Amino acid sequence: MHNKSSFRGLGEKLAPYVLLAPFLFTLLVFFGYAFVRVVYFSFTNYDLFSPPQWIGFKNYLNILKDLDFGRALKNSLTFMVIVTAAQTILALFLALLLNQKVRGIKYFRAAYYMPSVTSSVVITLIFIWFFQRRGVLNFLVTTFLEYQGLIVLFLLLFALFQGLLVFYEKWRKRPVSIFEPSFLFLSLFISFAVVYWGVRFGFLAPRIVQPVDIIWFNTTKTWPEFLGKLAFPIPLGAIMLFNIWTTAPTFMLLYLAGLQDIPRELYEAAAVDGAENWHVLRYIVVPQLKPITFLVITMGLIGTLQMFDQVAILGEQAPRTSIITLAYYIYANIFPSSASPRVGMASAAAMFLALLTFLIVYVQRRVLGEGEGDHV
Amino acid sequence: MFKLRQRRWANVAAIYGFLLLFSIVFMGPFVFALLSSIKDNPTEWPPNLAVNQLMPKNWVASYRLARQGGGNGFTGGLAPNRQVYFEVSYWTGPNQEPVPPEVVIPRRVPGGAAAALKIEHYATDYVKVVDLRELHREPHDGGWLTTYGFTLVNTGSLRLDPVPMDLTVPMRQQFVSATLTPNRIERLGRTQGWNNVSAGVFPYVFYNYSRVFQENYSLSTGRQLFFLWMRNSFLLAIVRVLTTLLFGSMAGYALARLEFPGKDSIFALMLFSMMIPGQVTFISNYLVLRDGVFGLSRLFGVSSLLNTYSGLIISGLVSASSVFIMKQFFQRLPASLEESARIDGASSYTIFFRIMLPLAKPPLGALTILTFQSVWNEFFWPLVVITSPQDKYPLTLGLLTLRRTYGAAAFDWGPILAGTFISALPIVILFIVFQQYFVEGISFSGSKS
Repeated sequence: MHNKSSFRGLGEKLAPYVLLAPFLFTLLVFFGYAFVRVVYFSFTNYDLFSPPQWIGFKNYLNILKDLDFGRALKNSLTFMVIVTAAQTILALFLALLLNQKVRGIKYFRAAYYMPSVTSSVVITLIFIWFFQRRGVLNFLVTTFLEYQGLIVLFLLLFALFQGLLVFYEKWRKRPVSIFEPSFLFLSLFISFAVVYWGVRFGFLAPRIVQPVDIIWFNTTKTWPEFLGKLAFPIPLGAIMLFNIWTTAPTFMLLYLAGLQDIPRELYEAAAVDGAENWHVLRYIVVPQLKPITFLVITMGLIGTLQMFDQVAILGEQAPRTSIITLAYYIYANIFPSSASPRVGMASAAAMFLALLTFLIVYVQRRVLGEGEGDHV
Repeated sequence: MFKLRQRRWANVAAIYGFLLLFSIVFMGPFVFALLSSIKDNPTEWPPNLAVNQLMPKNWVASYRLARQGGGNGFTGGLAPNRQVYFEVSYWTGPNQEPVPPEVVIPRRVPGGAAAALKIEHYATDYVKVVDLRELHREPHDGGWLTTYGFTLVNTGSLRLDPVPMDLTVPMRQQFVSATLTPNRIERLGRTQGWNNVSAGVFPYVFYNYSRVFQENYSLSTGRQLFFLWMRNSFLLAIVRVLTTLLFGSMAGYALARLEFPGKDSIFALMLFSMMIPGQVTFISNYLVLRDGVFGLSRLFGVSSLLNTYSGLIISGLVSASSVFIMKQFFQRLPASLEESARIDGASSYTIFFRIMLPLAKPPLGALTILTFQSVWNEFFWPLVVITSPQDKYPLTLGLLTLRRTYGAAAFDWGPILAGTFISALPIVILFIVFQQYFVEGISFSGSKS
């Protein structure tokens, strides 16, 4: 009896470790050990086959001298900043749009989220097709150029009619806002009808333009050109475009959850005070969403810094220097198409990546701790 | 009052306007690519959605042709001694004498070299064209519209599939219509080509999709590669979901509700691991798998875990984020649940399996979806671990192979887009059915920082 209970006591004491065993195994072997070993490799000369040799800080000096590393770092940082900024703003906007109480909102939410459930391979392949020289995007650009004049005309007419309607109401001494929605619809309708009939009866015509030949991937050009060295390569810009498109909906869901947590009383109090929509957004919604915004920005920064799949899938489709990122640089040094693996340099670059991530999280913690800063 | 209502309507209309606009932004590229994936030429300029494969006229025609050929109307084939009857019309100017088209059954070798080995009998060796004649001629549009009819007969003793066909006419004799719309028109309109005259409805509509399966064969076993890739992805995802659910909830429970030395440092290491990108640690992990996890795999007679699914499974038994999700859930359960069981002398194992696990259905549901999705979409780690043979690839690597096969010189987008959509299909279905879990999963993983 005594024996059995002490055996049980031992079993009970070991229980947490037994339950944790599989997780501890992956955590220690595939993270802890791996991390320590990469730190070690970054100070050695190693080619995956013969034993590593200690060379001190040489790898760090070498990658700083390596042109490819410089490009990769610059590409990664540009990508990180632009994509994070754009997707955060877009995600907030989409969440505000989906937070309306209208029928069928569930279906719209599903439609918006669809790009985020598929794999990066699927998205990248579809977009290589989309961004071809004679592809859908260039067709859209061409069509836009064709109709550019008509669109400008339409907008001018729209502003004119709106102005007239508002002026008429004011003249009759009725209170009216410049953006009175029913007037907006009316002038939208009238100006569209004018342009449509103009085209129909041959007074107006779309311009005839040559098909646009923007090369999105196979180019070393940068944009915007006047920025010189600060401009980013066009292929990287194309990746940014579809990356924003895929990740914004994920963060939109986070914002949506945050919006639903804002207490109703705040809105009601604002309504009592007669606050404008814009003010509600500026002084209630955005400050209330601040924790979520920090989360979205941090996750965005860390996620974009790891961008690899798109580069690997594009492959020879775009010049290597235009799209290489830190993550791809590491991979390409371990598995180079020619020459022997340079594990030391790859590890040093990996340490750089880890350090950057660490820095982002640290800054976020600091800022969040002080409770300062007004993002979005 | 009237004013107010008018205003509300305008507001609702504006909201729907924006909602629709963004639906086009997010779904548009998908829908356009999906429709293009069944087209004969997905890179047509200007891009359009006039898809022959979606015209009911062609469905009826391909069904009839396949029935004439002695096959099932939906799957097709040209049986021995059966024949299919075909009509085609051309327009000629007033000064040109119409000429009957030259009918050729080409020896068209599909796809790569491996696929060519699979076809043993070419239709061109057995199919004869008989009874080619002019049926009628009528004035049309300042010239003549002439219709020809002919019959294709299978003179061999084997069922033939596919039966490709090319018709060629002289210059300025314009093609107008045919029993089945041709798949391509070449040489300035002189040659009209069909992939398969007796295809049947499904092979006709999903021609690009069938190419994905039928043109990619394993060099070693001769089995259809795309099928293997799908199977691999499914098996891997199922195993990884099971290990994640079990080990993730075990670890989550221990971290949330048990006290033991080292708990805080384990938790700290776990948070740290969630921060560091996989591209940092893969260097060592690659070596660990190469050396068979410190040589332990030798106990099972395997020296290296590279190019094995065991390697992928062992390195991904359970992720830190899934442990985190489970820990968050178990922490929120009331302490009273456990206390009475402890007084009754239940062990931690009993409490976990009998009391805690049955309560954890909601987070386990979200975790199932989340894990399945991430394994199905995983690209980087399989790319490192699985290099050869192609039989072992999961779908994501398979798609990369398709892109290399069909995108080597000039892009042949039909099969690439088709493969892309087949691979996305399971996840999209999963998403439509379990939408709520996806949304919850995001908020679960969002609560981690």
